[in-house]
Amino acid sequence: MKHRIIGVLGVALAASLVASACGSSSSSSSDTAASNDTVAAGAADTGTPTTGGTIHILSQLEQITHLDPQRNYTGSDLAFVGSTMQRALTSYAYASGTEGSKLVADLATDTGTPTEGGKVWSFTLRGGATYEDGSEVTCADIAYGVSRVFATDIIVDGPTYAITYLDIPKDADGNSNYPGPYKATADQQALFDKAVACSSDGKTITFNLNRVVADFNYTTTLLAFSPVPKAKDTGEKYDNAPVSSGPYKIKSYEPGKSLVLVRNDKWSKASDPVRHAYVDSYVYEFALDPAVIDERLMADAGDDQYAVSDAGLQPENLQTVFNDDKFKDRRQDSYDPYISFTAFNAKTVSCVEVRRAVYLGLDREALRTAGGGPYTGDFADGFIKPALADDYAPNKMPDGLNKDGTPNIEAAKAALDEAKTKCPDVYAKATGDGLKFFHPDTPTWQKNISIWIESMKAVGIVIKPTAVEPSKYYPTVQNDKTDYDIARGAWGPDWPNASTMIPELFLTSGGFNLTRNGDDPAYKQFETDTKAALNELDRTAQGTKWKALNQFLVNQLWSLPGTFLKAQDIWGSKVGNAYKWASSGSYLFGELYVKQ
Amino acid sequence: MNTSAVAVGEPEVHGLIESKSPSRLAWERFRRDRAAVIATFVVLFFVCIALLAPLVCKVLGINPLTLDRKALNDYGLPNGPFGAISRKHLLGVEPGTGRDILARLIYGARISLLVGFVSTFLTTVIGVVLGIVAGYRRGKVDAVISRFTDLTLAFPSLLLIIALTRPFTQRLESMGVPEGNPARLTYIVLVLSLFGWVYVARIVRGQTLSLREREFVEAARASGAGHWHMVFKELLPNIWAPVIVIISLSLPGYVAVESTLSFLGVGLLPPDASWGVMLGDSVKYYRADPTYLFVPGIALILLVMAFNVMGDGMRDALDPKSDRQQLG
Repeated sequence: MKHRIIGVLGVALAASLVASACGSSSSSSSDTAASNDTVAAGAADTGTPTTGGTIHILSQLEQITHLDPQRNYTGSDLAFVGSTMQRALTSYAYASGTEGSKLVADLATDTGTPTEGGKVWSFTLRGGATYEDGSEVTCADIAYGVSRVFATDIIVDGPTYAITYLDIPKDADGNSNYPGPYKATADQQALFDKAVACSSDGKTITFNLNRVVADFNYTTTLLAFSPVPKAKDTGEKYDNAPVSSGPYKIKSYEPGKSLVLVRNDKWSKASDPVRHAYVDSYVYEFALDPAVIDERLMADAGDDQYAVSDAGLQPENLQTVFNDDKFKDRRQDSYDPYISFTAFNAKTVSCVEVRRAVYLGLDREALRTAGGGPYTGDFADGFIKPALADDYAPNKMPDGLNKDGTPNIEAAKAALDEAKTKCPDVYAKATGDGLKFFHPDTPTWQKNISIWIESMKAVGIVIKPTAVEPSKYYPTVQNDKTDYDIARGAWGPDWPNASTMIPELFLTSGGFNLTRNGDDPAYKQFETDTKAALNELDRTAQGTKWKALNQFLVNQLWSLPGTFLKAQDIWGSKVGNAYKWASSGSYLFGELYVKQ
Repeated sequence: MNTSAVAVGEPEVHGLIESKSPSRLAWERFRRDRAAVIATFVVLFFVCIALLAPLVCKVLGINPLTLDRKALNDYGLPNGPFGAISRKHLLGVEPGTGRDILARLIYGARISLLVGFVSTFLTTVIGVVLGIVAGYRRGKVDAVISRFTDLTLAFPSLLLIIALTRPFTQRLESMGVPEGNPARLTYIVLVLSLFGWVYVARIVRGQTLSLREREFVEAARASGAGHWHMVFKELLPNIWAPVIVIISLSLPGYVAVESTLSFLGVGLLPPDASWGVMLGDSVKYYRADPTYLFVPGIALILLVMAFNVMGDGMRDALDPKSDRQQLG
């Protein structure tokens, strides 16, 4: 899963910056940890929806990160664009609670047919779907859309599972021999056409994969598998004016200001079993101050009665909203798909004793309090959320780690003493020059870093903070040349399988590996085991493998588990269906309706 | 406005004839201005507290960095009315971390005043030197310096300061200034001085231009005094009064600018506190914890106002033509 992710979702989401490349996540279908994934306080009204009206979406972002379906890869954007403008082969059910992580057919008639044990997947198209200009969505358009993913110089930031999975030869560096539709020669195009084939009647699309992928039909929920009409493709510029295949189309789009969607009158309900499209239009308002967003939603005046926000409540407003009964029908406290973590640079902090000393001595309770106390989330015990029930098992945490998140200074000092003899270099660095900690320069992090510095001081470890401009934070820490010792991140699964968590976060080929663990003595074994888990066909056996790997990661501490994050929201009093969609952790924007 | 004119031109002492030096006269006028005297005490109070910050905090048993989870509730907000003011935390605690606000305020005063004093010193030195040179040499030198001041004035300085923060602090760090706040503070002081000297220079130049035509300067020139003597013995002693006034009025300006920059997020880095950082943070909590907003706000208003009133008092004392007591 080699790809670039420039992930900046929200400048100050809850306690941490959340890495973007989290398409959809979800609870597992066999959800034994249901209580962990459902609404904890407040309730979203799911009464009888009515048609008409305008929904306003208030955002602190400058624009939708990517409207281009093949480049869209953040939870909230996937939910917004997917439910309004871009259809894919499959989708998650448009429903609240755990129902929302069920796989359903969208452009296809069913959720796909695997053959050869899951190495070949074919989808029969429903037919009747049209673009905003009235022309029909064809099998060739879907294939063309997928082919765009391979143009990695133009179609950046999107998920690259198509490159990983499709049976197209790769060169020695792991790059695909197919360079995407813009540059491909006839021979190269033939490679792709062999891997993704349309039947002669144009009714069936077949994906030939290079290995068994038992849950490939989950991959196809990503908008990277949305159709793009070749004649309308404008390459990089497509991002600002994609052609809609959903119930809405763009009326006007001014990044930094607003995006207005109106009904796509060419969309027919008969061809779309998923979307309901209750409202007449959407107005996405950009570049608002987060404090202003909260204030407007709390005040609930005028058009703001029909408004939601694409990011959660600021921690400073939690008490106001959750202590006052007047908000009780329009607030919600729920788990989102993300896990926050603190990654060590395993090249420079190559000593597990030092890493353990940091973990044991860190005042995690203070960090959680700064983010809004229990509203921040639960202390994570690994890199798999309980909602991924197939893959989750409680881990055995390092000895001496306080359950309540308070620091255990003595245990931390003992671990540091061990380091003194075992790895004097790292010990000297940690207690002398200090460990360079890169964090985004947000108000939340200015407090968090103070807590880090102060609680590490008690252990005897020196933290040297570097504040990075929020919009440049992820590109900075993902750059191999940045010499951090500690960096901060968060990640959510792309679909309900730890295969989208552990390999992405810890394999050197992973999309969001901040640990630089390739040279670690334990890495070789880890890589072998992870690949074995990826190739395991039996889902239960695969889950067992992920559980073991999760425990291994907690022992190894290349990265410190942070919090199983939660999100709190408030919405306008006239907004209906304001539930959090299990698959994205955001609203299911296309299902919102205006209460009469 | 030279001092000899003050002594001769304003015979305000009635009755007993007693010869008084110009500075003594000024001091007496200043002492009669009650507002200015009170303001001076306020300023001295802040300066003392800032200088003795570690001692004051030790006596009060507080620390600007210590976290106090117990002072916070489950929302991470101060656990009690008025920002959890208690005997332990006299001005309450910071939301999120539970750090003592009074301690942060005291340590923040150090930063604010440090930036204020150093910037004022640098702008004064640069401004006086360039102003005197321009006024004294006139001609080409004056033209060059004056155009340069005009150019500097034309810069949108605040925007420039904000935009250049990151590249310039990195540059400073690579030049050997300690990373983090030392580099940030150096940068702030440098840019404030870079844009601040022009105001001093313009006033000093104007003063010098009028002074150099005066008889005593003519006399010195006629008796063959060199440039050095002219500048240091004849001109400089006669412009110190307006310079002192500029100093006392620009210092609170720099304190406020530092707060503004920190408020805008280009000032001090955590975990250190400055008043601007505190203000910037507290704005978010205006609803949940208004006390937090008022404390640094009032401190800043108090300090800036005290400096201004003191500066006004000095101007009145040193420049009797504008003496409010005489006019009114």
